[in-house]
Amino acid sequence: MTTPMLEIRNLHVRIEEREILKGVNLSIPKGEVHAIMGRNGSGKSTLSHVLAGKEDYEVTEGQVLLDGADILGMEPSERAVAGLFLAFQYPIEIPGVATMTFLKAALNAQRKGRGEAEISTPDFMRAVKEAGKALNVDSEMLKRALNVGFSGGEKKRAEILQMALLKPRMCILDETDSGLDIDALKLVSEGVNALRSPERAMLVITHYQRLLEHIVPDVVHVFSDGRVVESGGKELALELEQKGYAGFDGEKAA
Amino acid sequence: MSVHAPLRLGPAEATLIAQLTAAGAASEAERLAGSGLPTRRVEAYHYTDLKQLLRMVPEPAGPPVAASAPALRVAGAFQLMIANGVVEGHGTAPAGVIVGRTKGGVLSTRDDVVTRLNNALVGESLTLDLEGSVDPVIQIDRRTEGPAGHSASAAKIFVADGASVVILETCSGSEAAHLGNHATYLAVGRNARVTHITVNLAARAATHFATTEYHLAEGAYLRTLAINAGGALSRTQLFPRFEGKGASADITGLNLVGDGQHADITMDATHAVPGTASKPLFKSIARGRSRAVVQGRLVVARDAQKTDAKLMSHGLMLSDEAEILVKPELEIYADDVVCGHGSTCGQLDEEQLFYLMSRGIPKAGAETMLVRAFLAELVDPIEDEALNEALTAVIEEWLAGGSP
Repeated sequence: MTTPMLEIRNLHVRIEEREILKGVNLSIPKGEVHAIMGRNGSGKSTLSHVLAGKEDYEVTEGQVLLDGADILGMEPSERAVAGLFLAFQYPIEIPGVATMTFLKAALNAQRKGRGEAEISTPDFMRAVKEAGKALNVDSEMLKRALNVGFSGGEKKRAEILQMALLKPRMCILDETDSGLDIDALKLVSEGVNALRSPERAMLVITHYQRLLEHIVPDVVHVFSDGRVVESGGKELALELEQKGYAGFDGEKAA
Repeated sequence: MSVHAPLRLGPAEATLIAQLTAAGAASEAERLAGSGLPTRRVEAYHYTDLKQLLRMVPEPAGPPVAASAPALRVAGAFQLMIANGVVEGHGTAPAGVIVGRTKGGVLSTRDDVVTRLNNALVGESLTLDLEGSVDPVIQIDRRTEGPAGHSASAAKIFVADGASVVILETCSGSEAAHLGNHATYLAVGRNARVTHITVNLAARAATHFATTEYHLAEGAYLRTLAINAGGALSRTQLFPRFEGKGASADITGLNLVGDGQHADITMDATHAVPGTASKPLFKSIARGRSRAVVQGRLVVARDAQKTDAKLMSHGLMLSDEAEILVKPELEIYADDVVCGHGSTCGQLDEEQLFYLMSRGIPKAGAETMLVRAFLAELVDPIEDEALNEALTAVIEEWLAGGSP
């Protein structure tokens, strides 16, 4: 049996005294796209942050394996070098850092971390231009400070642009559909679909079925109260849409 | 009725009084004997209590000996040097630049001990008449060389109407516990545009005092950047006066302090006539056990209607033991003005750090990026490329942990 790209084993996480993740089990093989659906507050975003290595969370039990290697002891930057990428629900604004400068720094930091040579400026410019074209990201936007004054759609497109440039093996998309109108959603989804590959796995976190019409998952997991309560094919998303989360976790809608 | 406790003079004050007397400034000596150095009770020195902080004053600096390496080189700059208070010879001046010397100090009389000491102790001053726009950067390289010495230097600069010039002043010297007291008088003519940069790269054991007085005529524009990066104790004073209608300025300053350093930027701006504008912006980065001080005062005269002035100060603390102290003062006598002030202080933003790291940038690299971003607002407007690079290099060296 081949090693899954991402394997989460019995993951328990708390913030201060409150347990948020209560034994998450999840396995995503290479080449597959999995979706996690769950209501607000079910712990979906906590999961994405813990996977990317954000501080403030205490892992009390469990393991997270990226292509067989435990990443819980790694810094966020080391996880990125290992091939993990989180597309943020709310991309952070960084005044004073030009988007272009940031992209080059990130790309070169990852190459350096993997023992590769720095990318030449012409190669870099070409790669950015190519990735930008598909996502409708022009050079004017890249000159601006990172995410500063970007519209909701621009922020999400910039996230997918980073993903396209950094070529991660494991992509986590946290509520990528939030704040997008239907045209922007289509554009972003096409960008994500273009990155589907047999060597890459994706975890798409959302609470609407809408996104999954555009990024069609291989497997859907229903998340409730800090764990996966049901898994199934893409039709599970439709079923969820009809029955509501209460049909799965027995709780009343919040 | 006021009660005066008997004033006890410390060794620094005693030395200063002796030096003033020896320099023939008997009345200044007497005045200092009566008042002593300012303490925190003097508002302008509230966070820089000179009586506490200035423990001793070295002997007057002797004639300059072999000079140390230049603190800052800017490609193509026209260089002038004042070493141990003595105006040195110089190369061929660019067209429109007239260099001269004059006796005595340059600063206007002011109830301020640093100003008074400078005026009393300066032997000769450098004079610069800039008759028109000057292409190369004009650099005044001030040094305190040799064994620990007390030196006072001064320069008086006139920029002609309509001229556009860039002036850089650097203060540096040998590694010793000097006391350098430097003064500049800068008059900006009608519709002239001046960029004035001062960089304090004094020895780590030194005390650095610098005062610049600006006079802005009608329509004049001034951009300043005063950087404190050297010295154990530094006090940089900026006294801009908006004297002509439509005069405007971006007065900016930067304290970079590390372990054992105390750096103070104090601005006292006067809007004297109607329709002038200023945007003072000061930043401080403090690490280790250090202290950065920013004091900003805006005075708007009764007639100075339509003054537009906004004073901002931002602090970045890179250690728990660092202190950044900020005090704005607004003194407004006109009734139709837009004046304000604001201040922020904090550590690097955790969310921003996480975002950069999540893209593969290691923690140290991410921190450096954010610190650079914090400073971009001050450095980016410096248009001269070579000068911008030189200033960036000063900042990078500081960030890399090297003491200037």
